[in-house]
Amino acid sequence: MITKSNLYRKEKIYGFLFILPPLLGLLIFTLYPMIYSIYGSFTDWDGLGQMSFIGLSNFKDLWTDELFHKALFNTLFMMLGIPIGIVLALLLALGLNRGVPGTTAFRVIYYVPVISSLAAVSIMWNWAYNGDYGLVNQFLDLFGITGPNWMANKFTVKPALIIMAVWKGVGYTMLLYLAALQSVSRSYYEAAELDGANGFQAFWHITWPMVRPVTFFIIVTNIIGGSQIFTEMNIMTPTGGPEYASASVVFYIWQKAFGNFQMGYASAMAVVLGVFIFVVTLIQFRMNEKQSFDVD
Amino acid sequence: MLKKKGWLTSMSLVLAASVVLAGCGGNNNASSNDTAATNAGNTTKKEASSDSKETKNLTFMFRGGTDEQKAYEGVVKQFEADHPNVKVKIIVTAADQYATKLKASITGNSVPDVFYFESGDLKAYVNSGVLLDLTSYIEGNSNINLDNIWKYGVDLYRYDGNMAGQGNIYGMPKDVGPFALGYNKTMFEAAGIPLPDKDKPYTWDEFIKVAKQLTIDKDGDGKLDQFGAGFNVNWALQAFVWSNGADWIDSTKTKVTIDDPKFAEALQFFADMQNKYGITPSTEQAQTLDTYQRWMKGEMAFFPVGPWDMSTYEKLPFDYDLIPYPAGSTGKSATWTGSLGIGASAKTKNPEEAVELINYLTASKEGMDALVKAKVQIPNLVDMATEWAADTTTKPANKEEFLQIVEDYGRVLPGHYTYNAEWYNLFFTDIQPVIDGKVTAAEYVKSEQPKMQKLLDKAIEQEAKSKK
Repeated sequence: MITKSNLYRKEKIYGFLFILPPLLGLLIFTLYPMIYSIYGSFTDWDGLGQMSFIGLSNFKDLWTDELFHKALFNTLFMMLGIPIGIVLALLLALGLNRGVPGTTAFRVIYYVPVISSLAAVSIMWNWAYNGDYGLVNQFLDLFGITGPNWMANKFTVKPALIIMAVWKGVGYTMLLYLAALQSVSRSYYEAAELDGANGFQAFWHITWPMVRPVTFFIIVTNIIGGSQIFTEMNIMTPTGGPEYASASVVFYIWQKAFGNFQMGYASAMAVVLGVFIFVVTLIQFRMNEKQSFDVD
Repeated sequence: MLKKKGWLTSMSLVLAASVVLAGCGGNNNASSNDTAATNAGNTTKKEASSDSKETKNLTFMFRGGTDEQKAYEGVVKQFEADHPNVKVKIIVTAADQYATKLKASITGNSVPDVFYFESGDLKAYVNSGVLLDLTSYIEGNSNINLDNIWKYGVDLYRYDGNMAGQGNIYGMPKDVGPFALGYNKTMFEAAGIPLPDKDKPYTWDEFIKVAKQLTIDKDGDGKLDQFGAGFNVNWALQAFVWSNGADWIDSTKTKVTIDDPKFAEALQFFADMQNKYGITPSTEQAQTLDTYQRWMKGEMAFFPVGPWDMSTYEKLPFDYDLIPYPAGSTGKSATWTGSLGIGASAKTKNPEEAVELINYLTASKEGMDALVKAKVQIPNLVDMATEWAADTTTKPANKEEFLQIVEDYGRVLPGHYTYNAEWYNLFFTDIQPVIDGKVTAAEYVKSEQPKMQKLLDKAIEQEAKSKK
């Protein structure tokens, strides 16, 4: 009896020891900063000295802060890249799934941007978008089109960033779709064929519902990622672009916190952004629950 | 589908991940700050005796382009050789990441012993006890002759608790960076236009006339291949505004004064260079990088030149020289002089050695010699600078212009005076329609002034709070 309980206690301790490192990591690097920044959002902290509590004042200021609204709009606008990316990735995946020769090579080609450093990619695209010498405009020139100076024009800077984001993300999405497509049993298509379904009908009634969980995953992760977009604009338009047309929320947070000594205000924005992401994701999970069905 | 519990956890993770952004730890509690600040002032010099044989470790954080990094690393090595008991650990970053990294290290309470900082951040750093007061170390030091260092540069790092520019010294200028106007001498000679006078600035009208003559479509394809000038509004508008007798801020540093008609006139002239006179590439045609490239390819007659570019311009296929900026209604040229300070942490364990390193980098003959040879800056020491400028055999011949800017007509950027430069930056964030000729300068300054004033008021309020 005694030995058994000793053993049990020992195992329990070992068990806790094993989960301790990630747990500590979560506490120190996630939970603590999170609570700290929530607390900071109610203060006028400048990031250096002491904090004093100012209640909801930061949040009230956010309500009338034009630049914050602009940054929020920009961030939402740039999420237009998400559906574009999904459609492109699915088309690519469908193509590759047919077993065209050189599938592996194409997979690698599409995946290379995913593993490239975002900073390096941004610098490269910045050159490509250069109005005078850029690859993009030289290419357009072949068709007699005079391209704009992409990054210096408030109307083209967001599309330019979207194009780059789609290019960067499409390989990853495609790979997920490819895996999903390959797990769809052939027998469904055979049955559909017997019933006289055409290609599109097979896609719409079998493929699309079957890859639904993947689509859901991609949308959720892309929206979260898209809300936090920062590196691209920081490198490509370090002042926030023409008339602040390419500043994202995180970019504005960073400017306030590290450029203007307003860590408290920046924390308030981070909290708003966090709540936004939480709510949007929650809605998606709810919607997904309602619409899901089992295909067995 | 995911179970209830599953998604609750993932939700909270999502929330967690998205809020992490802001506070990176940092618990600068008030009491430790205050004591650090007072200690810094009182530290007696004898305490940290430099003749003890134990090794003292310093960390030195700085930034710069590749040429500059190499030069500074070299000087630090030399310093270590001269001071065998001091070991310096170098932390270096690219320019655009520097501010973030420094501020994160301050928030996280791990400030490097010696580091670069922007003169505009001086007040904030002093008020919250980040910077060591260098006054007692420098004024009593027989190796340093403050009279032989640019007054402009040293004053940038003085602060008496109210106004920057006077009082105790919290940093030494790494260098002073006069932003002069350069011109392509070879191009003038080829066009047969008399060279500009290095002592008498052009009037705006004269400037337009000369620049127009040099704006040419060489191959007749309807596209200009050579421009009179290329000015980036962020860095060149000051020269026009100031020389016209206007400014962004009044002398009390509490009121935004861009709604002055003199200001609007200068801004309109700046925009007209592109839209009315067509002597500068349009924004569509050129951002900074491109005007810089055009200048280096010899396709631009006038272009601003900073001392940090001297090593790059060494290899240009044409001859260039410096002149004063064209003068507005005051008849006098104006431009700004940048600077970066080197300061020490108020919490450094080795203040004596930290100051020694600062002095070596900013005020010693040995240090300056090496840095000037690397062609990344003009000398900090006045006598050395005079000698350097007198040598007209190296490019640019009229290096004297740099010195005149520092001593005579250079000014500090308006954001320096205030707790943060947000109000000033907003001016440039919204300026594009004016430069493109879609909004007149008069309309712009009228609509922009209240917005900037609001941000300035906020900065003033923030400053008052930081002193408590």
